[in-house]
Amino acid sequence: MEINELNEAKIPLVRINKKLNRFKGKILFEKKLQGANKLLLRAKLPTELSIEKKQ
Amino acid sequence: MKYKKYEYSADEDLHIYEFTSIGIKGEIKKVVEYSEMNIDGYYNLAFGDFDEINNEINDKIITNNGDSLKVLTTVASTVYAFTGKYPKAKIFATGSTEVRTRLYRMGITNNLVEIQVDFNVYGLKEDYMFEEFIVGEDYIGFLIVRKTMNYGN
Repeated sequence: MEINELNEAKIPLVRINKKLNRFKGKILFEKKLQGANKLLLRAKLPTELSIEKKQ
Repeated sequence: MKYKKYEYSADEDLHIYEFTSIGIKGEIKKVVEYSEMNIDGYYNLAFGDFDEINNEINDKIITNNGDSLKVLTTVASTVYAFTGKYPKAKIFATGSTEVRTRLYRMGITNNLVEIQVDFNVYGLKEDYMFEEFIVGEDYIGFLIVRKTMNYGN
């Protein structure tokens, strides 16, 4: 890919920081995730989005 | 994105992103996380300050570092990065406070035309119904889904 194409690309190039791999498998914002799950549990999802609920 | 953003880095899975906010209160490390939700294909977007001393995240603190637009633009950029790797992911976001949820709404509103080229954006109303995002409406959460078509590179 040319430099111009890279600069204009919508998907950004992301620098990988292996130090962040220490968070793998951890949930950093646990309360927020719980709250979001509660919201979506009650929500009627957009009909155009097919879903498969885990619980 | 038409606004400036911070450079950021990510873990190898592109689930966690880190950048440094630089403003009137100095340098503050920020973390963005995409977590799998209880519904397949849905990911919760969360971000907040990372306290390196205590190794803790704070998503309620109001930093007031004078760069909220640049921070939001950076977070929005991670949505492009994340959906670049996981194009079928549905991203749900809600603020940790009403004020922050309104801030998200403002960020979406300010960039809606550009965002809608590549994403479908829905707002979750207080009656727990989603609707296509409408400027000026109050929402308690947001859902962002990449369009299959019209996505550059």
